[in-house]
Amino acid sequence: MIDLNNVTKRYESLTAVDDVTFSVKKGEYFALLGPNGAGKTTIVKMLLDFTRPTSGSISLGSIPSTQAECRQSIGYLAENHHIPPSLSGWQYLLRCAELLDVSRSEAIDQCRHIVERIGMQGRENTKVGTYSKGMVQRFGLGAALMGDPKLLILDEPTSGLDPIGIREMRQLLESLKAQGITIFLNSHLLSEVEKICDTAAIINRGKLLVKDAIRNIVKDGETLEDVFVRLVKG
Amino acid sequence: METPKSLLPITRITKYTLIDEVQQTSFVVMFVICAISVFLVRGCYHGNYIVNGQALDAGTIVRTLSKATFHVIAASVMVIAALLSMRLFRRDRNEGMQSCILSKPIARWQYVLGKIIGIWGLSVLFMFILHSIVFLITSISLKVFMPQFLMGSLLCSINLLFVVIAVLLLSLLMPDIAAFLCVLGIGIVGFVADGIAAASQSQIAQAMLRQPTGHPQSEMTWWKIVYVFWPKLLGVQQLASSLVETESSHGFGTLYPLFNVLVYCLILGALLLKRFRNEDLV
Repeated sequence: MIDLNNVTKRYESLTAVDDVTFSVKKGEYFALLGPNGAGKTTIVKMLLDFTRPTSGSISLGSIPSTQAECRQSIGYLAENHHIPPSLSGWQYLLRCAELLDVSRSEAIDQCRHIVERIGMQGRENTKVGTYSKGMVQRFGLGAALMGDPKLLILDEPTSGLDPIGIREMRQLLESLKAQGITIFLNSHLLSEVEKICDTAAIINRGKLLVKDAIRNIVKDGETLEDVFVRLVKG
Repeated sequence: METPKSLLPITRITKYTLIDEVQQTSFVVMFVICAISVFLVRGCYHGNYIVNGQALDAGTIVRTLSKATFHVIAASVMVIAALLSMRLFRRDRNEGMQSCILSKPIARWQYVLGKIIGIWGLSVLFMFILHSIVFLITSISLKVFMPQFLMGSLLCSINLLFVVIAVLLLSLLMPDIAAFLCVLGIGIVGFVADGIAAASQSQIAQAMLRQPTGHPQSEMTWWKIVYVFWPKLLGVQQLASSLVETESSHGFGTLYPLFNVLVYCLILGALLLKRFRNEDLV
C-alpha cells in the first residue's frame, strides 16, 4: 500500500529524513514513532506530496506519490487540524465530499453518515470558530473518512482530545481497522499505539532505527515506551 | 455539454474562493465604500464647467467625466485585486484549506488555476458593478447610453488578471505586503512612464527635445527598451476608455498594450504554476 525507497529529504544543511526505506501492507495498522524533530511529519508530508523527497521514491498503491490520482482513496488528518472559521462543520464536510467528485445528493448522504460517526450531531451547523480543539479534530477525522478511503494517514489524531475523546478515537480507529482500512498513524502516545497497532517504525534524526511487528519489537517484560527510549537514547 | 473531469475541481475551487472572499468583512466594507464613492460622482454630472471662458455642453461633460471615472475605477480595482490576492495562499494555508484540497486527488495546477480564476472573477465582477453604476447613472439620470463603457470594463479585466497573477507569484517569493507593494510599484512606474511619454508627444516637449542637450542619443535607448517592455497597464486602460469615446483606428500601436499585458500574464502564469509545483506546503 505504501512504499518508501531510499527516501532522503534535505533542507539546506539539515537532513530531515535520511535514506529511509520501508513499506506498509494493505490492511496494516502502522505507527510511525519518533521524538520531536525526528522527521515523522516530513515523511507524512512526502506521502501526500506536500513536499518532495530530495532523493528516493514514494508510491501509494503502486502509483507514485507525485501523481494526484494516488490520493483518490486516501484520507488525511493533519496534526492541529484547521478548518476555516467562517464555515460550519457541515459546510466543511460538504466541501471535502465535493472535492472527491461525488454528486451533491451523494455528498449530503455521506456528510450525514460522517456527522453521526464522529458524534457531532446537533453541532454540525454552527460555525467552526465556536468549536473546541477536540471538535475541530473530530471534524478533521470526519473529512478524512469522506469517500470511504482505503488508506488513512493520521498525524497525531488525538492531539487536543480529552481522555474520553482519546478513547472514542481509539474505538473509531479499531472499527476502521476491522473494516480492512490501512492506517498510517503518526503518534506520540506510545501506550495507545501499543494497544491498537500491528506494526511500528521508530525513527530518530531522520534515520530509521527499527520497523517490525510490535510483538517483535517489544521483548518480554518491556513496554513500547522502554524500547522507544532505549533505541532513541542509545 | 459535459464538463471535462479535470475542470471540475477547478470550478469547485473557484467557487470556494469566491464564497470565502465575499464572506470577508474587509471585502464587504471595501465594496460598500467604493459603491458609495461612485454614487457620489453623480452630482458632478450636473455641474457647470467653463473652459477658456466657454461653458461645456452636457455631452462633453458626460463623456469627460465618465472617462475620468472609468480610469479611477479601473485603477482602484487593480489595487483592491492586489489586496485580495496578497494573502490568498497564506490564508488558505493557515485555515487548513490548502492541505484539505491538496490531500484529495487534485493536482497543484488545478488548485492554482482555481484560485486565480476565483479571485480574478471576483475582481472583474467588482469592477463591472462599479462601472455599471456609472453606466446606469448616465443612462437613467442623463439619458446618455454608453454600452461601450461596459465593453471597456471587460477589456480592463486583463489588467486585473496581470495583477492577480503577479501578486500570487510574488507572495510565494517574499512577504505578502512586499508582493503587494512590488506590483503597486510596477503599476505606478508604468502609469508615470506612460504619462511622461504622452507629455513628450506634445508640441512644447517636441520643441524642447529638438534643442541640443549634450546628452548622447544612446543613453535614451535603454530607457526606451525598458519603457516599451514595461507592463502597459495604463495603455490597456486607455485602449478600453477609447471605446467609451468610440475613437477610431485600432492599429498594432494601439493594440500593443493589450498584447504586452497578455504576454506578461502568460509568462507570469507559467512561472507561478512552476513555482507552486515545487513549493513545500507546510
